[in-house]
Amino acid sequence: MGEKSDVRQGTLALMVLRTLETLGSLHGYGIARRIEQTSGDLLSVNYGTLYPALLKLEQEGYIASAWGLSDNNRKAKYYRLTRAGRRQLAKQARDWEQATAILARFMAPEEQ
Amino acid sequence: MRKLRALFLRLGGLFSGQRRDRELEAELQSHLQMHIEDNLRSGMTPEEARRQALIKLGGLEQTKEIYRDRRGFPFIETLLQDLRYGARQLRHDRVFTTVAILTLALGIGANTAIFSLLDAVMLRFLPVERPEELVQVKRQIPNSVNMAVPSFTNRLWEQVRDQQEVFSGMLAWCPQELDLAQGGEAHYAKGLWVNGDFFRTLGIRPAVGRLITTVDDQRGCPGVAVLSYGFWQEHFAGAGSAVGGTISLDNHTYPIAGVAAPGFYGMEVGTKFDVALPICATAIYDGARPRLDHLSWWWLQIAGRVKPGISPAQVRADLDLISPRVFAATVPPNWDTDGQNTFRKGLLKATPVSTGTSGLREQFARPLQFLMVVVGAVLLIACANIASLMLARTATRHREMAVRRALGASRMRLARQLLTECILLSTAGTLVGILLARWGSLLLVRFISTTGNQVFLDLSLDWRILGFTAVTALLTGILFGALPAFRSTRVSLTAAMKASGAADPEHRAHFRPGLWIVASQVALSLVLVVGAGLFLRSFVKLLTLDVGFDRTNVLIMRTDARTADLASAQWAATWDEIERRLSSLPGIESVSRSVMIPITGAEWNQYVHADSPNPPAGEASLTYLNSVAPAYFRTLRIAFLAGRDFNAQDTATSPKVAIINQTVARKFYPNLDPVGRFFRLDEEQGKLGAPIQIVGVVRDSKYESLREGDYPCAYFPVSQSPGFGGGPNFMIRTAVRPSAALSVIQATVASVDKSISLEFNTLARQVDDSLVQERVLATLSSFFGGLALLLAMVGLYGAISYMVTQRHTEFGVRMALGAAQASILRLVLRDVVVIIVAGVMVGAGISVLSVQLLQKFLFGLPAHDTLTLAVAIGVLSFVAFIAGYLPARRATKVDPMVALRYE
Repeated sequence: MGEKSDVRQGTLALMVLRTLETLGSLHGYGIARRIEQTSGDLLSVNYGTLYPALLKLEQEGYIASAWGLSDNNRKAKYYRLTRAGRRQLAKQARDWEQATAILARFMAPEEQ
Repeated sequence: MRKLRALFLRLGGLFSGQRRDRELEAELQSHLQMHIEDNLRSGMTPEEARRQALIKLGGLEQTKEIYRDRRGFPFIETLLQDLRYGARQLRHDRVFTTVAILTLALGIGANTAIFSLLDAVMLRFLPVERPEELVQVKRQIPNSVNMAVPSFTNRLWEQVRDQQEVFSGMLAWCPQELDLAQGGEAHYAKGLWVNGDFFRTLGIRPAVGRLITTVDDQRGCPGVAVLSYGFWQEHFAGAGSAVGGTISLDNHTYPIAGVAAPGFYGMEVGTKFDVALPICATAIYDGARPRLDHLSWWWLQIAGRVKPGISPAQVRADLDLISPRVFAATVPPNWDTDGQNTFRKGLLKATPVSTGTSGLREQFARPLQFLMVVVGAVLLIACANIASLMLARTATRHREMAVRRALGASRMRLARQLLTECILLSTAGTLVGILLARWGSLLLVRFISTTGNQVFLDLSLDWRILGFTAVTALLTGILFGALPAFRSTRVSLTAAMKASGAADPEHRAHFRPGLWIVASQVALSLVLVVGAGLFLRSFVKLLTLDVGFDRTNVLIMRTDARTADLASAQWAATWDEIERRLSSLPGIESVSRSVMIPITGAEWNQYVHADSPNPPAGEASLTYLNSVAPAYFRTLRIAFLAGRDFNAQDTATSPKVAIINQTVARKFYPNLDPVGRFFRLDEEQGKLGAPIQIVGVVRDSKYESLREGDYPCAYFPVSQSPGFGGGPNFMIRTAVRPSAALSVIQATVASVDKSISLEFNTLARQVDDSLVQERVLATLSSFFGGLALLLAMVGLYGAISYMVTQRHTEFGVRMALGAAQASILRLVLRDVVVIIVAGVMVGAGISVLSVQLLQKFLFGLPAHDTLTLAVAIGVLSFVAFIAGYLPARRATKVDPMVALRYE
């Protein structure tokens, strides 16, 4: 296994929201796998960070959860984006783009 | 909003822990299963698939823990957990818990009780609108040392009211007791004369009807009464029909206009008013010389509400400006030129009055502060007691602590657990303490009340009392918990895990600080015992003081014939007749009457010019006066040293005579026989009165207070001096208890004249009431001193007992090796003696340094009274030694075989 970084809390929340936006309703394991895959297996998500993050998002009302059945007919808790979550995602995405754009300008090779 | 929502959900999370734990467990399980299935699909063996999944996901338990923290508030959850655990521990150890809670309840209760009083007497704002805007206006008399006196004549008050420009409203008031009964034994209501603007300026609203307004307060007014809420409840059972009814006060009937809102008791802290009347109505009683126009009748107190935006400097400036005008307009015409000139230079001064006025405050401010320190010390001792108990208890929980440390609990976490237990204890103690305090402060108010002055204080709980108590409770918990918490969590794991905790020398060392705690308790309690001793001895000295008269079985009957024309000679005959009829009653030994009653704080004095060579002059010639009927000295058992008593031959027309006391004889007639000599009174400005011949000399007796020195006193016959006020005071010596003769006496007076109003007291009570401050200090300081001593001794006993238990094995070994019982006893007693000596030395040091503060309150002994200190040290050392000896003796009863078997 190659070197993997843990995901930082703030960005994890954004990734969770984005994942749920793309895939609709999804259980914790699915979210974790999706994030790892999207990162090209550069990131590793463990319970210790994922579940508290999910709980926090739920408490803040950005996502909602309900028990359902997985593809293998297994009981699992499914998370989905709420309307507030959608707005939050749009806002965070915007902030993120802005921040990276600014940073990119700093990191760009200096113009002569 | 989001944050708020999260907060609520987390709060909710506190209460549904178990269900959510199960839910998380299920979620994580399903996650794990899915992971394993994926791993299987990618070709792993079942074992490998499970192993990889578990590795990947990290510790399940840790995840749950983090999740739980996020779900609720870990701080609160831990707290709840600690509280549950603490409560269980405390329930488990019933005796300890009961003792600790009771000790704390006493300590905190005493503090809250004294603080409630301090709050009511000194800190509480008047229950009126914006009390901070009120200032009392006083007059400063030039020449006297910065003395601002609060009293005004009506005319002076009217001048100030009309000329000032800085107050939005002004008020004037004067309390006066008014008789509700029409003849017979008086039943006084606390009347309050108020100006028309009084209630409006204070912002008091009526509960029923209306209040007094400026319309009611006009010259020649018929008068109208406003009741206080409490009086209305008590006397009219809160009936609405009272308004529109009438009330009789000093034989005049007033219509009742309304009732003031509850919670307003008047301007003076320590009293309450029953009925307010407009000041114009005083004219109804005053006859030819109404106080409304009297220029030297100082009866009103005045205050104003400062207009918004006016600074204290502007108030000062305005009062300075109007002072010359208002004083010049109201010069007392009967004063001499010097006095009048001084009067014109008077200045008006404003002082804050947001907390009301109070004579009680002057009398009890310092004693209450003392008592606050005393109860503070008692609480400290109580804390120390519980600290050492805790220390002993936590030492036995040594292994528990070690095990919990070993399982990964941090030292902070354990200390926090112990502190939570302490705060739990102090909270329980506080709740009981508040109950004790409510009861205690009511008792205290009764205690400082006297027959003549029923103290009323608003003791309702306010934020200050609650805050004080809460802070006290918290500090107490931390104070007695901190040391044990930190010491007992400092455990050496290996040592503790070895089974025998008791034999571990390090462990034993744990309890050494306990001994120092006990020593400091001994020191503190010594200080309190010394203070109590001083107050007690000084009080006893006052009680046993030779006052010069015999106070037992003397009934004082104040009379008031206010309806009658007092000047007439017919009244003298009436009083004589009453005296004659009373003397012939069975059970009455002798009857007399006088103008002044001893030990009331009231004075009547004048300068005296004696006919001896070089008589004292000026201030030195000031002599205290009384006018008495024959048999006064016999009734009070004041011994005659020379000459005769007054008799029926001393009449208004016979030559003027007087009886003097020893001090007059000594001061004015050294080495001379005063009987038969003459003196004159300095009536006014050096104008001498008629010569008065001395016909007798009596022993000195106390005049206005027990604390006074030797007052020179002269007595005149009632037949030759004017009466004051409504009627004379009868002194009746009874053969039986004075109260038993009361009804016969009332009937006898009524048989002469039904309209005379009577008020009874006994001379003994009169004297007692004058000692209220001393009694309060002596009783309470003794009580708290005793309590402190008791607590300290319990502490000492407990500490030594504990130490003996701890060293049980050691003593067993020593005895097995041949140590005598006496040497074991010596071993333990050495610690006891060290504690006592250290405590006594420190305590004596503090006492010597601090007792000087008490000097003002002591009578007849210096604050550095060696005897008191010595007795206090003796008593304390003795009791402490006993408290230490009892457990020490147990050490000698150790059975070596039993002790060794434990090893």
